[in-house]
Amino acid sequence: MKKYWFNKFDDVTELLLRQNARTGSRRSFLSHLGTSLLGIGALTLLPVYRGGASESVDKNKDESGDPNSCDYWRNCAIDGFLCGCCGGTNTSCPPGTTPSDITWIGTCLNPTDKKNYIISYNDCCGKSTCGSCGCQRDLNNTPIYRPQTSNHLNWCSGSQAGVPYHCSLSVVLGVKD
Amino acid sequence: MNLMRPVLLGLLCLANAAGATEKVVTDYMLNCMGCHLDDGRGYVLRGVPTLTGYMGNFLTVPGGREFLVQVPGSAQSDLSDAELATLLNWMLQSFSAQQIPADFVPYSAAEVARLRHRPLVDVAGTRASLVRLINQNHAKQK
Repeated sequence: MKKYWFNKFDDVTELLLRQNARTGSRRSFLSHLGTSLLGIGALTLLPVYRGGASESVDKNKDESGDPNSCDYWRNCAIDGFLCGCCGGTNTSCPPGTTPSDITWIGTCLNPTDKKNYIISYNDCCGKSTCGSCGCQRDLNNTPIYRPQTSNHLNWCSGSQAGVPYHCSLSVVLGVKD
Repeated sequence: MNLMRPVLLGLLCLANAAGATEKVVTDYMLNCMGCHLDDGRGYVLRGVPTLTGYMGNFLTVPGGREFLVQVPGSAQSDLSDAELATLLNWMLQSFSAQQIPADFVPYSAAEVARLRHRPLVDVAGTRASLVRLINQNHAKQK
């Protein structure tokens, strides 16, 4: 029985190889292989922000709602423009902008699983203001005289790109309780 | 510093995978991490001091122990005295264990309460003179 399967496997492999040799030249095989390799290489060069290890945490979670809507649960403490409306997503900066390294971190209640999550509102910087989907909700925001918990600051002043502010992300960092 | 980062990132990710984040880690995330970043490396380019491999040096000079509580990020946080004491002890052990002197006694809630009610007026000046003392000590040791 075993031998039968091996023979079948050999037959099918031989058939495929011979068919390939008859219909295509060696150069075409090499060119296809080259294109595939180049394509895979080029994918990683696309201008997409991949800074967050938290992305995987972001995706494995029960949630509902439109990230580009101001009443989306993660936007509970945001003050700015939603990056999803500006050419990026709520966890990745639009092309041509850089995420601020230092950032405002708050918590929001996820209505789907009733847990509080720790959210980082990194600003995307280096281009002028996006202007779409402005959203100001400010939960747990403090006045500017308590700057470490005030979200009115332009956090782009803490980025490589410098002060021009474009939009804000809402990245989940963890579960609070 | 480079070795600490994956370890701490791993801890944070573990917290995520396992469910609720540990209380002291949550306190760090909500009160410090925005500026001092996930592994305490800070952002020197924009004036945020590095904690990693350095914070414990403050315990080796007169006034340094007080400074870690009185610095506005600590003293003016929303944390209770007990929470701040726990957080500072955790940060010292997590980010700067090698710099902690052998005779270090962990912060208590009572000590934090006493210190944080004495405001630090000249924050940058106090820090600069403490760093100068730390540097002098390091120079002597070499």
